[in-house]
Amino acid sequence: MLPEVYHGELRRDKGKISLMLLRQLLLKPSIIQPPTSRTVCGLPHKKYDVIVVGGGHAGTEAATAATRVGAQTLLITQKIQTIGALSCNPSLGGVGKGHLVREVDALDGICGRAGDWAGVHFSILNRSKGPAVWGLRAQLDRDRYRQFIQRELLNTPSLTVLEGAVEDLLVSDPNPDQPGQHRVTGVRIVDGSQPIYSSSVVLTTGTFLSGSLFMGQTTSPGGRIGDPPSCAGLSHTLREKIGLKTGRLRTGTPPRIFKNTVDFSLTAIHAPDKEPTPFSYLNKNVWCKPEEQLPCYLIRTTPGVERVVMESLHLNSHIQQDTKGPRYCPSIESRVLRFPGRSHQVWLEPEGMTSELLYPQGLSMTLPPDQQLRLLREIPALQRVEIQTPGYGVQYDFVCPTQLSPSLQVNRVQGLFLAGQINGTTGYEEAAAQGLWAGVNAGRTAVSLPALALSRTQSYIGVLIDDLVGLGVTEPYRMFTSRAEFRAALRPDNADLRLSVRGFEEIGCVSATRYKEAVRVRDNLTDALSALQSISMSAPKWKERLKDVNISESKSSLLSALEVLQYKGVTFEMLTSALPEPISAYLDLSQRLKIEAVYRPHCEMQQREMERIREEESLSLPQDVDYFSLPISLSQEVREVLDRVRPQTLGAATRLPGITPAAIVHLLQYVHRTRRRKGTERRANN
Amino acid sequence: MCDADTIFALSSGHGRCGVAVVRVSGPASGLVLSSMAGLAHSRTVPRTARLRNITDPRSQELLDRGLVLWFPGPHSFTGEDSVELHIHGGTAVITGVLQALGRLPGVRPAEAGEFTRRAFHAGKLDLTEVEGLGDLIHAETEVQRRQALRQMAGDLGQLYHDWSQRLIRCLAHVEAFIDFSEDELIEDGVLNQVDSSVSQLQAEVERHLQDGRRGERLRGGVQVVIAGVTNAGKSSLLNVLCQRPVAIVSPIAGTTRDVVETHLDIGGFPVQLSDTAGLRDTPDTVEREGVRRAMERVELADLTLAVLDSTHLPKEHQGVPGFLLGHLRTLLPAGEDLETALRRCLLVLNKSDLLSEEQVASLQSILSQAAELPPACLLSCRTGHGMDHFMGALQKQVKSLCGDPLSGAPSLTQARHRAHLQQCVKALGQYHHYRDLDLALAAEGVRRALTSLGRITGRVGAEEILDIIFRDFCIGK
Repeated sequence: MLPEVYHGELRRDKGKISLMLLRQLLLKPSIIQPPTSRTVCGLPHKKYDVIVVGGGHAGTEAATAATRVGAQTLLITQKIQTIGALSCNPSLGGVGKGHLVREVDALDGICGRAGDWAGVHFSILNRSKGPAVWGLRAQLDRDRYRQFIQRELLNTPSLTVLEGAVEDLLVSDPNPDQPGQHRVTGVRIVDGSQPIYSSSVVLTTGTFLSGSLFMGQTTSPGGRIGDPPSCAGLSHTLREKIGLKTGRLRTGTPPRIFKNTVDFSLTAIHAPDKEPTPFSYLNKNVWCKPEEQLPCYLIRTTPGVERVVMESLHLNSHIQQDTKGPRYCPSIESRVLRFPGRSHQVWLEPEGMTSELLYPQGLSMTLPPDQQLRLLREIPALQRVEIQTPGYGVQYDFVCPTQLSPSLQVNRVQGLFLAGQINGTTGYEEAAAQGLWAGVNAGRTAVSLPALALSRTQSYIGVLIDDLVGLGVTEPYRMFTSRAEFRAALRPDNADLRLSVRGFEEIGCVSATRYKEAVRVRDNLTDALSALQSISMSAPKWKERLKDVNISESKSSLLSALEVLQYKGVTFEMLTSALPEPISAYLDLSQRLKIEAVYRPHCEMQQREMERIREEESLSLPQDVDYFSLPISLSQEVREVLDRVRPQTLGAATRLPGITPAAIVHLLQYVHRTRRRKGTERRANN
Repeated sequence: MCDADTIFALSSGHGRCGVAVVRVSGPASGLVLSSMAGLAHSRTVPRTARLRNITDPRSQELLDRGLVLWFPGPHSFTGEDSVELHIHGGTAVITGVLQALGRLPGVRPAEAGEFTRRAFHAGKLDLTEVEGLGDLIHAETEVQRRQALRQMAGDLGQLYHDWSQRLIRCLAHVEAFIDFSEDELIEDGVLNQVDSSVSQLQAEVERHLQDGRRGERLRGGVQVVIAGVTNAGKSSLLNVLCQRPVAIVSPIAGTTRDVVETHLDIGGFPVQLSDTAGLRDTPDTVEREGVRRAMERVELADLTLAVLDSTHLPKEHQGVPGFLLGHLRTLLPAGEDLETALRRCLLVLNKSDLLSEEQVASLQSILSQAAELPPACLLSCRTGHGMDHFMGALQKQVKSLCGDPLSGAPSLTQARHRAHLQQCVKALGQYHHYRDLDLALAAEGVRRALTSLGRITGRVGAEEILDIIFRDFCIGK
């Protein structure tokens, strides 16, 4: 197969509906790229700043982020038509995951806007549990999501998309001065006669690294059903040539069922929010009309389901191989095995506005197809169900992420970045977040800017990456809000304040438009809060103005409007009508003001702890140090832990089990000393 | 780094000293000055001692009369506002002052090495001084660890541990409810259970804090443990030190089977001396338990007297230091590095009366040159030969241990525990306050409570919480 380059029209007609949609898109003149040097023969001679391998959630964010920081970027994917495909569940966001989508959006990523364009059912989870843990979530129309992502990529200047399979990674031989240190120089594609060169490469190969598919007792190589397996060359180079440590993980997906074979009278309907909340800070509305949103349906498993699982265990090689599965239960088999005798929830989720399919969330399975049908039909609402595509399991290699730096660059290969499932994570949002950050740094280093890290005190993306590179993974890593120690400060409502301003001023991945909007919001919030702070009255006076609010009159001191806003049931709108002062100018921020009023005192209390962590994060430990011969007082046990994990900052070392406070002080002293010596050397050289 | 908390610690030895010095550092130092010594910091001459009544800020009860010094920042050791209180050295006075300090808002007992760390961050220490900081913190945490272990070995430890387990479970259930209840089946009533657990815990901790009696008697003094293989003469040493037959001695190996304890006064310092069962593999279950207890005592000891039969030393005296080092390696706790353990050890080579004079002289000259060994004393419990030298060495060690303000000072440990428990109760209050308003902030309260308790029982990481969530609930993808 010859590599195909995408420049304005598709050469081969492989797909069905999706391809037609893509073609329709392409016919719009506004989105056709000028065919500048985007030809097959032109490619091999060109050197790119960044090559991104893979067109999933990580790859598309990486490619677009790299171009935003000014890098000439090439995205290579096996099939252009599957760029932006939702290979598993048709939904985006959730508790913790919605936080990541908001942060990706605040850094000008694409998945949030794609979600707003493709969503057919929006709801905020945890609405009653406090704004810090609200989970923005949407069911998506698969086709619309893919269309949006593909259109976005084609509209991105300085991004070229190439269809092809990457055969191998090009890395230089180790530098004799720094043993074990390689530099990436590009990739080689299958049947590509010549290599394609670049300064950075981002690998986002998902489940395709030595991936194998499982269904019943059959196993076949591959990373996703319907796609060819990826080349073994890449796995080989990562493991053998570069010497990276890899592990193996499993995941799975449920069967897709035909909507018209479900008896909805036996389900519980779950309605979306009446007012959809967009993911993106740039959007005031979503594409879907509120009243046209689609519902989800809730059903429950029966004892019959458990019986089918138990009776067909011997036919289920994916489950039999389950020696060290994750602590949570991705498949119905593991749910039944670990929590027997219970009824488990299953959500029937829409696949799109016009789709004839439903996605039974919670019924991921790897039974033989006939047993899958038998199992589904044990549920009353699915008695006459028909399967379109059976469920299957995937086992794949991941690279132990402790070998990466906080910029997501592989420590021993300059210019090589990894993002997504290849780092042992699960989920679209986790992949998108890493993709964005790997793309930013791949682009920055390619254009000779320093790589950057995000702090865990400022973002969930920072928590995610810090956990990955600092602690590694033993099961697919998924984001939970309980992983963020500063949850009260890292809220979905304020990701723009936390990231957009820095994204423009320091990182360079945020557009001026978004930056201006974030600054406007920030300044207005500050002004409004100080206006509220300046209005004070006695408790009885407040009671007079806000009749239904339970303000204790025994309070002797004056209460500011800001304090009153913290009361349950008091909204900013109530204050604007109760007070003569001109605070009504800030009505568009009323929800955010209420949240800020409640949370700000808590966040201020945590400020000191955050500063301590940031300070420790900023002290980097040298990566080439031999901890066994380091002339500082450390016990053997501590040396072993440090040597095994090789923490990159003092902060990461602090979170390692087995590291004592004394060891941290010795390391601190060591870092200070080497820093000072380096400073002296630099002066001497000058 | 900005440190909003104000910290205090006893910075003098706890032994039989006439004067105890309590140091306070941080923004609330001025408050300490005014509320406990009746001095307005704006009108107090810096760095000048004044004799004042020191009172409990709440009850106005007179605690002591002593010298008070005011060091406004940045001209202080830590660079922050600081106060020093020079008070009388009695345990009751020290405990009273420390507890009064701990009750002031924003004031808490210092963590290990915290004064020095603050000084370091304020740029008050140069790099050579910092070099000692790591060692200092290591020493302090080591002392605190042993101290905590001593306290935790009893019912009190069981109680704290039990609280911690219950709190972890509460937090895991709240977190599960936050992260998963919308998608998964988290049974109704999970939060109601947490509500009642939190209330119950809060009540229990409060009751514990109000209980005037100590949870259990705290062991004071320097912990000295006699340890070694069977029949080396450990019990004879105990009897000689006590100048009375406290323990039964016999030529039969394995005579002492349990720990024999006695209180002594060595050079004016309180010492708790324990004789332990001789270490050997034995089929006797009672003796085996004795050996286990002996090992535990060595682990908790401030000072170990390692007793050997000198007739068992290698005949070739050049090999003696290596032999002794190997012996100590098996005897001393494996948990820490040998170098540190050796610093808390004295070698006693008993039965010198069974050696010839030439052998004694040769051994002594070898031992005096072996710098890698702890101080070694060749003596005979039977004849009393070498005892004076041994007593001198023992006194020196005990004195230096007592000069360490942390070793075996139960009042300080207790004040720290008290402060953490108070913070724990307060944080649990936050849970109730926010329970119906904002579950994320309510969970924050449980997290903070667990962090406070964790400072006594050990840190709890995010993974432990997730372990419980995944064990107790079926969480799908």
